[in-house]
Amino acid sequence: MLTMEKPAQTRDDLIDALLLKAEVDAFNARYCAALDSQRLADWAALFTEDAFYTIISRENHDRGLPVGLIYCENGGMIRDRAFALEKTAMFAPRYLRHMVSNLSVREAADGSFTANADYVVFQVLFDRPAATIHQVGRYDDVFVRTPSGLRLKSRTCIYDSLLVDNALCIPV
Amino acid sequence: MAWQRVAALESLRDSGVVGVELEATPIALYRFGAEVFATHGICTHALAFLKDGWVEDGTIECPLHQGVFDIRTGRALCAPLTRDLATYAVKVEGGDVYVDLEISGIHPNSAAECPAAGAHSEGASAALPLVIIGAGQAAAAAIRAARAAGFAAPIHLVGEERHAPYERPPLSKAALAEGFDAASCMRLSPADAQALGVTLHLGVRATAIDPVARTVTLSDGAALAYGALLLATGGRARRLTAPGGDLPGVHYLRTLEDAQAIAMALKGAGRVAVIGGGFIGLELASAAVARGAEVVLLEREPELMARLLPAPLGAVFRQVAERAGVSIRRDTAVTGITQEAAHLTIATSAGPVMADVVLVGVGLEPETALAEAAGCAVDGGIVVDGEARTSVEGIWAAGDCALHATPLRGRARRLESWQNAEEQGAAAGRSIAGVAGAAEAKAPWFWSDQFGFNIQMLGITAPDDAVVVSGPDAAAGAVYRTLDPQSGRVTAVLAVDDPAAIRAARAELDAEAPFDGAAHDARPVTLDAACDDENSDAISEDDDMSADPAAQFAKTYAWPKDGLSIIPDWVYTDETIYQREVERIFHGRTWNFVALECEVENPGDFIRSNVGPTPVVVSRAEDGTIHVFENRCAHRAAEFCRELSGTAKEFVCPYHQWSYDLKGNLVGVPFRRGVDGKGGMPKDFKPAEHGLRQLKVETHRGVVFASYAEDMEPLADYLGPEVMHEFETTFDGRKPKLLGHYRHSLPGNWKLYHENLKDPYHATLLHTFLVTFGLLVAGNKSLMLADPSGRHGVMASAKSEAGNVDEDKKKEMRAYKEGMSLEEPRFMNFIDEFDSPWSVTMATIWPNLIVQREMNTLGIRHIIPNGPNEFVMKWTMFGFEGDDEEMTRHRLRQGNLMGPAGFLGLEDNEAIKFVQDGMLRVTDGEHLVKLDPETEAGTADTLISEAAIRAMYKHWRDVMGIA
Ligand SMILES: Cc1cc2nc3c(=O)[nH]c(=O)nc-3n(C[C@H](O)[C@H](O)[C@H](O)COP(=O)(O)OP(=O)(O)OC[C@H]3O[C@@H](n4cnc5c(N)ncnc54)[C@H](O)[C@@H]3O)c2cc1C
Ligand code: FES
Ligand SMILES: [Fe+2]
Repeated sequence: MLTMEKPAQTRDDLIDALLLKAEVDAFNARYCAALDSQRLADWAALFTEDAFYTIISRENHDRGLPVGLIYCENGGMIRDRAFALEKTAMFAPRYLRHMVSNLSVREAADGSFTANADYVVFQVLFDRPAATIHQVGRYDDVFVRTPSGLRLKSRTCIYDSLLVDNALCIPV
Repeated sequence: MAWQRVAALESLRDSGVVGVELEATPIALYRFGAEVFATHGICTHALAFLKDGWVEDGTIECPLHQGVFDIRTGRALCAPLTRDLATYAVKVEGGDVYVDLEISGIHPNSAAECPAAGAHSEGASAALPLVIIGAGQAAAAAIRAARAAGFAAPIHLVGEERHAPYERPPLSKAALAEGFDAASCMRLSPADAQALGVTLHLGVRATAIDPVARTVTLSDGAALAYGALLLATGGRARRLTAPGGDLPGVHYLRTLEDAQAIAMALKGAGRVAVIGGGFIGLELASAAVARGAEVVLLEREPELMARLLPAPLGAVFRQVAERAGVSIRRDTAVTGITQEAAHLTIATSAGPVMADVVLVGVGLEPETALAEAAGCAVDGGIVVDGEARTSVEGIWAAGDCALHATPLRGRARRLESWQNAEEQGAAAGRSIAGVAGAAEAKAPWFWSDQFGFNIQMLGITAPDDAVVVSGPDAAAGAVYRTLDPQSGRVTAVLAVDDPAAIRAARAELDAEAPFDGAAHDARPVTLDAACDDENSDAISEDDDMSADPAAQFAKTYAWPKDGLSIIPDWVYTDETIYQREVERIFHGRTWNFVALECEVENPGDFIRSNVGPTPVVVSRAEDGTIHVFENRCAHRAAEFCRELSGTAKEFVCPYHQWSYDLKGNLVGVPFRRGVDGKGGMPKDFKPAEHGLRQLKVETHRGVVFASYAEDMEPLADYLGPEVMHEFETTFDGRKPKLLGHYRHSLPGNWKLYHENLKDPYHATLLHTFLVTFGLLVAGNKSLMLADPSGRHGVMASAKSEAGNVDEDKKKEMRAYKEGMSLEEPRFMNFIDEFDSPWSVTMATIWPNLIVQREMNTLGIRHIIPNGPNEFVMKWTMFGFEGDDEEMTRHRLRQGNLMGPAGFLGLEDNEAIKFVQDGMLRVTDGEHLVKLDPETEAGTADTLISEAAIRAMYKHWRDVMGIA
């Protein structure tokens, strides 16, 4: 928790920290909603132009190996990803549900801030009875404030579930 | 613009097609003797190159969905085409062929060129208009033909539906699935109608005809005077006469609105009952199954389509439906339907049937009342001659409402088909325009799409015809011929997923001689044979327990008679087969990939790996040698090494602390001598004899292979020179550097992955991404190599410079959409770092390795089977020592193409899953690998080939002992 990492000095500090956390929470809710309704262009719009986005296994991450399931070095590549998945990719229809919790936020001097949160992605295929846990992992984020609100300057999704179930068709 | 030379006449094959490019426009050139024609090179339906199509009788058949265009006029002749093809003027001079892109080809029959009413109304004002009743497909065909033949008077089209003419075949097919766009089945759009000088009266019914005064009265009170009248009224879906036939939840299908209502009803319908087992009933059942419903089909007769087809053929349709999960009740007549809450109960002669939705397909009632009232001869359909004239002066009729001009097989009939509406409509149009003469008689043709099969039928059969089959029975590739019982001549040909057979059938239908069964490898289909589909010799003879197991195996797993081009499903789904694969292939005489050397860089480094399903440890010993041994304790079989990778001095099984050195030798057994002289291992226990099972190892260019065969031949001999060459092109001596792994499980048989990479046919078809961004076009240089043994292969292609499709061409290719280009252009750069003509190679190295060189993203794909129905794929992505940071990033960027989330990779995974699903849900099925029969098995010189897959199965059968 935020307050445990860096005890707030005053009541105002505490309120600021809570407000910031609420803001990131709201951002993540928007982010998840865009993915869950498969509006990938809206998802892509939540990143800055110079953003970095990757989904990397905990195995690779812990060993300092850079390979990711998805690897985008800038906003253009993120939009390419969104566009290609929406317009060209063939995969069985599915529903996804992204859940985010255990958020912690640390503000940096330059106004940007880093955040961490855990995520779970459930997947439902139309011919299977159960929602399966498609991915479990942790977001490692850098946010910046822009005129249109918070934006991700970097999101590294580090997944624990090393063995991906067949294919990962929608970002996490 | 001017004439431009495109080719030498010499270079064009007579009656053939070639593709050329002119100002970035792809063009198809066709030569007929000294004459040459040019059309646009891309099909108007989807992205397919016509140069790969089939030329016949002045038409070109698209390679993708068999749409057919008239070469001279560009006219779209059949579904699924709805738009004509552009044609270009051509001249041949001094042995050279010139094309002018700005002038369209000379096509006297083309609608676009014909005098539209506006332009000619003055001259033609004396002529009385053509009035057409019924705005369906026959009407559309008549309008186009009349205009093309120079008919200049006004045309009035009266249609009861609110739509301009559209096609009905999709209504029972695509329209019932998600995402259907009604615009795609337009036959004559309002814009076309306007261009052709047609006044539309839509949503209006014609109520009376006065054949003497030559007027038609409309339901809105208007009257239209006509010079010529065409009845193209089609028909209505026959209603159930039993009570309850009009309850909500009981659906009939004829119009777009009907189809939309059915599509809605099928969403979330649990149980669906289909009444009537004709083509439409079966297609409805197929759509309902596809929507996940439980489907029962009720048929009054003893067999499906008993009055149309010989019973053995009806049985074929039934088996196909039953295998897809439809429960079919024959001899079951519906006596009434009742409703309770949302449930419908159908009372039948064989007891009640419950359903949420009832779909009725019990035939068509032709709309002939107006014709009869006008005095036209009607005999189950409006009687017409070869020019579609009725018995009343000034009135023509065409389509579903009219009879065929001549009796077919001794009976006057209506042909309720797309082709008939098209041809009879066109005949009427020409006749009305004053062009005499009946069109040449074409054999009736019909198609149906159901349960994933495309079924086409040419000719007219009768219930008492004999039936023979070539190829498999009731499966893709089956070709049925029906024979006249007296003369033995072919009366009709019905082909399952085999349009080529229908093409060939034209000649067979014309032949005078009786059918030569032997020449076609045809065998009779009798009702008995068809009835016990659940035959399977395997099962019936299984109970003979005393039989010798080898003989038993041979009997159970007999390859289909058809040889290499059919693969039975049990190859992919059977547990016994899988066990034998582990024993004979993965644990047999093969080299299996286990690791990159750089993953066990230093003494003590180890990684977990697998040979086939069997877990192994790859470790580097103190002396620098690499060892591979089973990850299974010699004591109680515990899989002792659990870390994915690490560094160790020894391996200790946690259960009883048996310890092994880095080569897999047993070094310590706790309490080996017991305690206080009691217990412990037998005196003669020799640790040296109880090490871990060690495999033979060979490394080459930084790649580690292992084999269970102690006397395994060297890797170079195993790969052979061609495959070794490709291997050494990728592993070119630079030291591989590990970039990371992906791991994923695939719910499919492991061999499907090899097949995916021995199947160059799928690349442009499945991977829209490649085509969309112009990365792979059918014209790219490529190769599908199979080594002489058939087990290894290399799929290779070269990124052509012209692969960067320019803007003009993008517009032409219909897969391109506005704004479809990559924002990150570097993503697709190819840095030419290898000494190779190929920018992409996929080497399939039997049995568990794929070496991916996708431009600059390099990877090992390691197959780990896990039973017949699942495997794990472990990817080891690498670069080379010496790559700078930008090169590493480039490899990572390009890595977006492949892997479980790769633009291409995810599609292959899904496709493999679909194939396994398809097999698991049908018993005793089989697959087709027939493409490119010219190469029986081996390296193919075309991408439209499955010869490498056939080669692999030749080898597989050999090793597996399956004759
Ligand atoms: C669901 C379905 C699937 C099919 N699938 C296939 C297939 O796979 N392959 C194949 O070859 N064929 C197929 N067919 C058959 C093919 O579509 C028909 O043969 C073809 O549509 C006949 O065209 P038509 O112009 O004669 O009649 P229609 O297309 O039926 O047009 C007749 C029109 O006339 C109108 N009309 C009737 N009376 C009046 C009046 N008094 N005043 C004004 N308007 C009137 C009707 O409303 C209708 O719009 C299918 C048909 C259906 C319904
Ligand atoms: S028929 Fe040509 S692309 Fe479909
Ligand atoms: Fe592929």
